Amino acid sequence: MLKIDNKADIFHYRTLLFVLFVSICTLLSRYFFLQIIEHERYFSKSQVNSVKAQATYAPRGLILDRNGEVLVENYPTYILTVTPYQLDSKEEEFSIISDITNIPLENINQRYEKFYQGRFLPTIIAKNLTFSEISQIEERRLELSGFQYKRFDERFYRDALDDAHILGYLREIDRESLSSLDKSKFYRAGELVGWQGLEKQYENELRYSKGIEYIEVDTYGREISRINDNSVPAFPGNDLFITIDARLQEYSKSLLNDQKGVILVSNVDTGEILSMVSNPSYSMDIYRGETNEKEWKNLLSDSSKPIINRTISGLYPPGSSFKLITAFNLIENGLLDPEDNLMCDGSYTPPGSSRTFKCWKEDGHGLVDLNKAIAQSCNVYFYETVQLTNLKDWTKTAKIFGFNEETEIDLPNELIGQIPDKEFFIKTYGRWGWSERGMLLNLTLGQGDILVTPLQTLRYINHIASKGKKTAKLKLNLNKEVDFYHDIELSNQTWDRVFNGLFDVVNSDGGSGWRARQNSDIKLFGKTSTAENPHGDPHAWFNGFFELNNQKFSIVVLVENGGGGGAVASPIAGKIVSFITKNSVEIVSKVVQ
Amino acid sequence: MFNNYLSGSNEYLGRLYLIVLSLLSFGLITLYSISNDPTSLSSTFFRQIIFIIFSFFVFFVIQRMNVKTIHDNSTLIYLGSFFLCFIPFFLPPVENTFRWIDLGFFYIQPGEYLKCATIIVIAKYLSNHQLEVKENYIIIIPLAIAMLSAFIVLNQPDLGTAVIIFAPVLPMLLWAGVNTFTIFLLIAPLLTILAASNFMIFNIWAVIMFIIFMIFQGSLLRRIVLYFANIFTGLLFPLFWNDFLNGYQRQRFLDFLNPDLDPMGSSYHIIQSITAIGSGGLFGKGWGQGSQTQLKFLPVQESDFILSVIAEEFGFFGISIIMILFFMLIKTFLDLAFKVTDYFSSLVIIGLTSIMFSHIFVNSAMTIGLMPVKGLPTPFISAGGSFMLLCFIILSLVSILSKN
Repeated sequence: MLKIDNKADIFHYRTLLFVLFVSICTLLSRYFFLQIIEHERYFSKSQVNSVKAQATYAPRGLILDRNGEVLVENYPTYILTVTPYQLDSKEEEFSIISDITNIPLENINQRYEKFYQGRFLPTIIAKNLTFSEISQIEERRLELSGFQYKRFDERFYRDALDDAHILGYLREIDRESLSSLDKSKFYRAGELVGWQGLEKQYENELRYSKGIEYIEVDTYGREISRINDNSVPAFPGNDLFITIDARLQEYSKSLLNDQKGVILVSNVDTGEILSMVSNPSYSMDIYRGETNEKEWKNLLSDSSKPIINRTISGLYPPGSSFKLITAFNLIENGLLDPEDNLMCDGSYTPPGSSRTFKCWKEDGHGLVDLNKAIAQSCNVYFYETVQLTNLKDWTKTAKIFGFNEETEIDLPNELIGQIPDKEFFIKTYGRWGWSERGMLLNLTLGQGDILVTPLQTLRYINHIASKGKKTAKLKLNLNKEVDFYHDIELSNQTWDRVFNGLFDVVNSDGGSGWRARQNSDIKLFGKTSTAENPHGDPHAWFNGFFELNNQKFSIVVLVENGGGGGAVASPIAGKIVSFITKNSVEIVSKVVQ
Repeated sequence: MFNNYLSGSNEYLGRLYLIVLSLLSFGLITLYSISNDPTSLSSTFFRQIIFIIFSFFVFFVIQRMNVKTIHDNSTLIYLGSFFLCFIPFFLPPVENTFRWIDLGFFYIQPGEYLKCATIIVIAKYLSNHQLEVKENYIIIIPLAIAMLSAFIVLNQPDLGTAVIIFAPVLPMLLWAGVNTFTIFLLIAPLLTILAASNFMIFNIWAVIMFIIFMIFQGSLLRRIVLYFANIFTGLLFPLFWNDFLNGYQRQRFLDFLNPDLDPMGSSYHIIQSITAIGSGGLFGKGWGQGSQTQLKFLPVQESDFILSVIAEEFGFFGISIIMILFFMLIKTFLDLAFKVTDYFSSLVIIGLTSIMFSHIFVNSAMTIGLMPVKGLPTPFISAGGSFMLLCFIILSLVSILSKN
């Protein structure tokens, strides 16, 4: 018992009961009016004609290269849908469809299961129907209740850029993937959605906006008329211009022949990627959603890994190009006089150790200063000098150049590689299973536990080419605004020292990259790498940059298990630079100033 | 007859639970019919079962609570619920509103629980024995509390919940014995504004109002002033609405109040709903056979328009059973409010009853086109976790209050 007794008045109780009674009676009388008195009218309305909202489509945006060459477009096909509750006999009707279209009955059944959305919603059971198949279906209309065909745009990938890695592909949305998609875009099972590459990255821009139209249908769902009030038109997706030059891309790809590898070319000032080859690639069939389970399994188990976009998801030891990291670190911290000469007699034995580390040139390079060490890629010089720094500072320098983080390229599935630090070594080898000095000997050659993606290497080159100032972020969308990575503050003198070394790599006698040398007056800077790895022959790298018409371009060539960077990668790089020089009008013209 | 009301409450509670179970079963049967794949764990049907089980659990937790604790801590409960409503403003918006808190497995809507808390604090105020209920000023505090609650909810923005928060105030004032004329004066301006839309109705309303003002006691001058104040409100409102606000300002105002308004036009929804209901006829088209429902002509059919599904598939017969169940539900609530010996409990029950009833009325009226489309669910039938939980909280509160 609380403070006070119930004072409720029977009059108030009756008032509220009265209000309740009247309200419920009002509702019930309205239901009575609609369901009993007006029943005939509404029943016939629901039976004969119903207004149904139906989605309308518009084409997906095109993808074009920097010169306006169409790379991806749409072509119209017909799809066949079935509305389950209208089927008289599923088995019979499906076998008729199988006869007409020559699609095995089991495939039709499989698709029916996969895309089923409910008894009353149309399910897409066949695609790419020809006109003659459509006419045969129309002829046997009476036997085929519940089937409808509809125009449907499929993607067509032109031969101009035969590259699945950049463009990606579309995939049919099935019941499982539906729940993971953006609800506000009104995706439905059976429609296409960008699943890889640029098609995925720019899904929101490329995808049409769905419209709604209201159609009057009869009980069998057949269209009687269209109602134009309230309908929302569908709009096509936006076209996407990409920074790739299709001709350069094709040319670079041809240089790799059948070798596994990567070729990247970019404009340093704008971050535009002109060429992005990852070899091998895979067949165009996958684009059209026709690839079956078995072909997929073959692709996935192929030992040359065609499915992987090596430029952003391939991890490699960078090799000698990381000697520059040591050089930057030492000069900037005043630990090294670049003019000092060291003696390379072909091998290096750390103080207090019995193990000997060999230079690649068995006879040794003789007296070596920094310039020569870079140009001829002397190991001993860097073995000795790296001892002057420590692991913490060294990894810090590597990370400043963008390793161990994303390049923020506009493609999905980018990996960040691995720059090992103290924690990593302790975790991997235990507290006493490694020594800092020993590890540095490996790291300074870009070997051991370092892993980088070729695109990260491209960013590294761009940082160097722009002397750390206003290095543009790498991008594939031509209309994406130019953005910049963080600046790298090193003294001019440091940059100049390294530049001299890189110039001599290509242009001096005995430079490891002499095979890339140009006959024209183009000044090519570069660094070769020959990266040892556990999977076979070393990877051949060439990373470089050059100036043309007051713009800087950078280039990364990687031939997987190709052998020496000087012998294998340099000539390819040289050819690409010549190609760009000859065709500079197209490649340079589109640059945003 | 009145002796009945004084006897034990168990008989009423038994009846109450029976009604609720019937409504729950009806709701589940209907949800099963409209789910594409009822056996899958993510279907509306299955999720509803989970919500109900969870709500049962909460029901039993509340059963352990003491009425006196609720009474003594009512201010605390109110402040707690009030500040809970601020949390969504600091979270990312859900569907462009700040109504929900995402708990991972489901969303809760703190506005729902503010409804109960507002009632409890008003009931405590009105049940104070030192209060002179015959004095008109006592309406001020309950109205102020309701306005405060409505204000925060309106900013989320959620017009539906804000309106529902006001619904219990008048019945509670009436129950507490506030002068009937005063209550009339509270409703009159609203009715005047509504009536102002039509010249004939406005005239009839003016005459009715005149008669009521004549019947009631009070100083003549005061009554005349109030009467004409009402008439002028009615005359000036259309002027204000049409001339002082531009079209886009009106639209912006309406959009602000009603962000869930369907861009396709809500009349499309109403037409589909009425067609579904009307085509159902006396006994309906049968379970799972409603063409309007199953062809998805009917929008939001699992929550806002679930009564239309029942009307189409089970006909007037089915909907009558639902309406009778609702009538009995509310009547039992009223009986309990009248019967309990404790005044505070009685007032709280009246408040909770009003919430339950306004949901039932607004939702049903919307499906048959008697009210504009407003996203309010139906108790114990509509799919949805937060509101189902609220219904069980109300049920449990009524149960412990009446056992007192």
